[in-house]
Amino acid sequence: MAGFFQKLKGAGSGASKTDTAVSTKTKKDEPQPDLTPVEKLLHNAGPIREDGSDKFFGLENFGNTCYCNSIVQALYHSEHFRNNVVSYPPPGPWEESNGTERKKVKATIRPPVQAIPNGNAAGASKPRQSFGAGAQLPPIAPSMRPEDKPDSPEYKKKQAMIRGPVLELAQEDSEPYGMEECTFTGLRDIFTALIDSQSRTGVLSPQRFLDIFKRNNEMFRNSMHQDAHEFYGIVLNDVIANVEAHGKRMQELAESRSKDGSSQSADTALAKADANPGTRPPGTGWVHDIFEGVLTSETRCLTCETASQRDETFLDLSIDLEEHSSVTSCLQSFSAEEMLCERNKFHCDHCGGLQEAEKRMKVKKLPKVLALHLKRFKYTEDYSRLQKLFHRVVYPYHLRLFNTTDDAEDPDRMYELYAVVVHIGGNAYHGHYVAVIKTKDRGWLLFDDEMVEPVDKHFVRNFFGDKPGMACAYVLFYQETTFEKVREELDAEGMDQVKMATQAADLATTTELVNGSSPALLSKLNTQPLSPVDESETLVTLDQIKSAPTAIDVARPVDPLPPPLSQCEAHPLVAAPPPAPAVLTEADKAATVPPKTKAEIAREKKEQKAREKAEEKARKEAEKEQARIAAKERQEAHQKMRETLRLEREQLQKAIQESKQMAAEDEKRQQNKESAATDTATSSDTGGNDEPPRNGFLNRAGRTSKSMTRKSFAFLHIGQQNNNKDEGKGGDKTDRSDASEDKGESSADGGGKAKENGNHPPVPPPPPPPPQQQQPQNGSGTSSSGKHGHLLRPWLTPRSDTAPAGAVDQLRHNKDNKDKPPLKERFSFGLGRKKSSRFLSPS
Amino acid sequence: MFVLPPPRYPPQGYTSLPAGMPVPMIETNNILSNPSGPEYQFLVGEGLYVLKEDLHLATPPPHPSEAPIVNPNPLATTPQPATAGTRLSLLNLDVSSLFPAVYRSTSRADGAQGSIQEHPDESKSSTDMRESSSDAGRLNFSDVPLFTSNAPAFGEGNTLLAPVAQKDANKRRKPKNNMSKSNSSFISRVINHESLNKRLQDRPRDGLFGFANVNRAFQWLDLSSTSKADYLTKILFTKAHCLCHDVNKVTKSSTHIDVVMGFSTGEIIWWEPITQRYTRLNKNGIINGTPVSDIQWIPGSEHLFLAAHMDGTLVVYDKEKEDGIFIPEEEAASRTSGDTTRTSRVNYSSQLHIHKSVHSKNQKANPVAAWKLSNHRINAFAFSPDNRHLAAVSEDGTLRILDYLKEELLDLHYSYYGGLSCVCWSPDGKYVVTGGQDDLISIWCPSETDSRGTALVARCQGHHSWVTSVAFDPWRCDERSYRFGSVGEDRRICLWDFSVGMLNRPRAASVRHRGSVSSRPGAGPLQRAETGGTSASGRLRSDSNHSTAVSATAAEEGETSKGKVLSHPVEPRAATATLPPILSKTVDDDPLCWLGFTPDAILTSCKNGHIRTWTRPSELAQQLEEKRDA
Repeated sequence: MAGFFQKLKGAGSGASKTDTAVSTKTKKDEPQPDLTPVEKLLHNAGPIREDGSDKFFGLENFGNTCYCNSIVQALYHSEHFRNNVVSYPPPGPWEESNGTERKKVKATIRPPVQAIPNGNAAGASKPRQSFGAGAQLPPIAPSMRPEDKPDSPEYKKKQAMIRGPVLELAQEDSEPYGMEECTFTGLRDIFTALIDSQSRTGVLSPQRFLDIFKRNNEMFRNSMHQDAHEFYGIVLNDVIANVEAHGKRMQELAESRSKDGSSQSADTALAKADANPGTRPPGTGWVHDIFEGVLTSETRCLTCETASQRDETFLDLSIDLEEHSSVTSCLQSFSAEEMLCERNKFHCDHCGGLQEAEKRMKVKKLPKVLALHLKRFKYTEDYSRLQKLFHRVVYPYHLRLFNTTDDAEDPDRMYELYAVVVHIGGNAYHGHYVAVIKTKDRGWLLFDDEMVEPVDKHFVRNFFGDKPGMACAYVLFYQETTFEKVREELDAEGMDQVKMATQAADLATTTELVNGSSPALLSKLNTQPLSPVDESETLVTLDQIKSAPTAIDVARPVDPLPPPLSQCEAHPLVAAPPPAPAVLTEADKAATVPPKTKAEIAREKKEQKAREKAEEKARKEAEKEQARIAAKERQEAHQKMRETLRLEREQLQKAIQESKQMAAEDEKRQQNKESAATDTATSSDTGGNDEPPRNGFLNRAGRTSKSMTRKSFAFLHIGQQNNNKDEGKGGDKTDRSDASEDKGESSADGGGKAKENGNHPPVPPPPPPPPQQQQPQNGSGTSSSGKHGHLLRPWLTPRSDTAPAGAVDQLRHNKDNKDKPPLKERFSFGLGRKKSSRFLSPS
Repeated sequence: MFVLPPPRYPPQGYTSLPAGMPVPMIETNNILSNPSGPEYQFLVGEGLYVLKEDLHLATPPPHPSEAPIVNPNPLATTPQPATAGTRLSLLNLDVSSLFPAVYRSTSRADGAQGSIQEHPDESKSSTDMRESSSDAGRLNFSDVPLFTSNAPAFGEGNTLLAPVAQKDANKRRKPKNNMSKSNSSFISRVINHESLNKRLQDRPRDGLFGFANVNRAFQWLDLSSTSKADYLTKILFTKAHCLCHDVNKVTKSSTHIDVVMGFSTGEIIWWEPITQRYTRLNKNGIINGTPVSDIQWIPGSEHLFLAAHMDGTLVVYDKEKEDGIFIPEEEAASRTSGDTTRTSRVNYSSQLHIHKSVHSKNQKANPVAAWKLSNHRINAFAFSPDNRHLAAVSEDGTLRILDYLKEELLDLHYSYYGGLSCVCWSPDGKYVVTGGQDDLISIWCPSETDSRGTALVARCQGHHSWVTSVAFDPWRCDERSYRFGSVGEDRRICLWDFSVGMLNRPRAASVRHRGSVSSRPGAGPLQRAETGGTSASGRLRSDSNHSTAVSATAAEEGETSKGKVLSHPVEPRAATATLPPILSKTVDDDPLCWLGFTPDAILTSCKNGHIRTWTRPSELAQQLEEKRDA
């Protein structure tokens, strides 16, 4: 009915902004809609988990930011990555231990009632417009706006925004863990906010993260459609850079402290160094552990038969697509032998000259999370633009790699598909991204910006590329698993289907199945009825789910759901209480954000009935006892603290008001920025608040070229030959200058950057540079190949050296760390596959 | 009175049709073409295979009752109905002509009989069986020759299943309903060729019939006719897609052909094309509501056939029985280990769950038997040539070997990764070949599991995408070497020559001298992990090479399952022999979904309805011709 009225309304008057406001106002008055499929899925899910694996939030779209949303979702739902992100940085021992829990993030909930008009003005309306531009959706009768059609994604997204809660992240949240605001902290804040949320569903606004990210990456600083894979690579590299920079600072800090005589921190520093001996600052290797694999490129000189090997690290593999192939097969051809001949000869140390050679790349170290970038965008000279390949490329739910080296550890490692980032659209410059993600125990979900919807397992197979609708898998995320886990899961999966079928058929005969008492049933949907549930309960309204604490606080030792949304405008999201020690903050921060339990208790006092509170407290304290020896003392301390906490709480609210104001200002600024027509590098200087402007500017400039470098491994050989126009960064000059020049040109014409994705355009290569330039600097092999998407570091020495090349790298790192962002070192200067050695200057 | 419906489809698509054509012609027609050129032939050892013709079956437009999808939402989460690419069931009414001459000329060595355990009451043989033994011309190529086996008939011993004595043995019972006059909403329309009877009379007796599904249509083709593009009969179903079909080789005659079709709705149609009569079984999914992914007549049986439903159930139906409301008879619980009650975890890796046994006393209605293999879709199954065993592959990547006569699960093997999609037996019943989503074809020898507990003989690498169909070429098999072919989503046909002595083994491991695990460097951790995993999930063959803990569990497990070990660990790649194809060639524009061998050709079919006939090298054809004459 409601949809029908909406239709009428939409049909009657065009889609103007005022109209939207009107219609949404009427929407507000409508009764709460029925449960969404996700809410049904999560109904009776039991207590909220502390690891965040049961949070299924949509992410708000700020105008073509679906590339970010889909990748962030995929990253969040990687258990390894999520856990590591939220537990970094580890608390330092020099920080006084007055806080006991992980710092919570100042997330505010946009009250749904006001959020609708606001959201329409600020956030919600933007994506609508961009959708139209993106043209990813079937054209709908002009008289009807897409969001008014009840089954349309727009409608669902709008409903999701209305439904809320809409989490917004406050600014300046990086302080608590002693890091400057950076991509990592932005991501960490998102993750923490989701984990801490008391609701399992809702929408989170990643605006803050995007602001930070865009500040550091110029080419994303527009409202254009961006490449999700590129974004993924840059985010990971940023995260690595941020974490390592922080790790190094901590290390230095620890060293300086140990010089000062603080034995405690010295010990810790030593312990840390022992725990993680390596080139990286201690405790920062986790990103590498998760995503990094090692490729060995073996080159065999055809003249002297000498084989040389080089190892390179990778964060993902960019694989060329063949028509009607499988991912398995594309990976095989990735590792197929390649002839280095003609203009692409190999400089053999043994023969001492350019020789023909055979080269092949194999995987030596298998990463925990294997990201496969399907090169769907191919440069075509005819149109001088990137074209999308709609090849049918099938991908299995499970995978093993055939292209491993003989000495690879666990070469038969089993991978399972856990996320598919899908590109919908006709070419590289338009379209939409969504993510289809396998969650830990809730089956597969479709994450389409604000909307989250459970889907059938077979839905995953809709994106092979041949179906109508132009939706193709673009990035596949496979994660490590084991055979027995797979078997177990497959067995359980079937049980679900049977159970659902049984329930659907309303067969009361097989009660054992319905009760779900056996552990085999505990998966996917079956985790819901932990206690036997009346079927009719699935029909409870949204209100119940949102506000009724009963379902949750029965088993949960934390406080119930936050108070009604209207009250909690300034209410920091309550964190789950993991026994992880908190990070020290500056004094005022500590005051504004008191340890979570205290705040909770204080609030509880006010809001909860006495009995409930007592129960909660007792349970909570019982839990604490397990974690701590001095529980009693702490309890006493609690009593004392409580008095003081009231004062603190008032302070807190003040502070939050302030931060809200700041957020509003920021939003305004953001809007202004977006309204500004041009987005040249100088004009979009919004992000530099907390950096010295000089540094910030340099920073950006440097990064721009670097990120371009990264993405243009293959792009390099398209055109630019003028190696002289170096923009003055240290390090390897030639290729970067190429890149920065590219960038300069493309950004000059309105930021329309050519997205390359590491594809090798079938362009006839430019005339080769003089032969001296063809010689690799390093005789041990050719330079890194553009086959892979994101190379971590240019390992210029063979890996077999036990003293890793990274050590040298690290030294350099330390030297120019002061004025240059460390991540510069990280970008490899890999070149086009066929032209692997051409651009290395003979310096 | 049957009145032809008015034209249902807008005529734009058929502009070549003059106005006022008879209504049935409004359907799009099949197109026969003869493309030639180097890309339409391929060369293997025995000679050149050349594309003879390409028969493109017309894909029918959607039924008018279905709303046309204008702009499909690529993210629509509504489940899609099951469909399948074109597959063929071939039928030759002539008994003698299709015997694989090459194969027959060689005496049979220790084939199936030696390798597969003897059945206690082998001497007994039912009428069904005798009939099939004499019927050597079966065209179900996975089990063509060697009907020397005298396995008992399925369900023997249950008197309730004994075939009802008929007055006239030659007079077959026909299905009940007239298809042309049917007003069933299931069938949209039936179109017979104008001169159907004449064509049937004029055709050569050894000519090949083909039955093919395309989209919601089902066509009966005369592949021996010069005008093979003109179907004999075309049935259009309203909504349901026919996913699989089979022809009974026992009852075939010039006056009677039994065809069964399985549908996306779970329903099954038994159709007799000569008299155009049909019966609908499992109506409205009363027995099982999930789509039928594979269907085959039980070898030697006149009226029993086996259907694989997508919920992992194998159901035996009797074509002549009525549907009954089916509630699983809980025999499974009491049958094997007593503690396996329904409340505990149902373990499909250790046993077959018999929802209804063939020996059940209640045989008044369908189903005759129902076995639950797992909860995952069974993609295909195949009967062993000796009619004792059944190999079934499913979407969860398992190959199950069943003794379907005894209703027992014998072995459980796992794919390297991904689901398995097709399976067939070697003509001598010694090997099982599977293809799947790991782009591999795996050769298994179920009768010879080695000390490591694996029956994997080799993995065949050559396809560039998922494998969709495998079949042996019985005309190029002898007792030592085997020829089989495969097709896949990569539009390729691969041909493989495989002989046990010639396998390309990995350097580090000699597979035939099995049990020498220690000589496999690099495989250690995985091997342990894999086997550990298997033991955790259930059964494991005891293996002295594994760590003691694992062996202990294995032993325990072995005891609990009466010493019978069922599931086998996955072989690491480093320890497995690999086989390269002798031919890999792209032969179509669309993913292929079926291939079959006839004495003079290889047939392939694709998702889009192309049936291509590749004639064998002429020398061989001549050779075969001579042998046939002699």
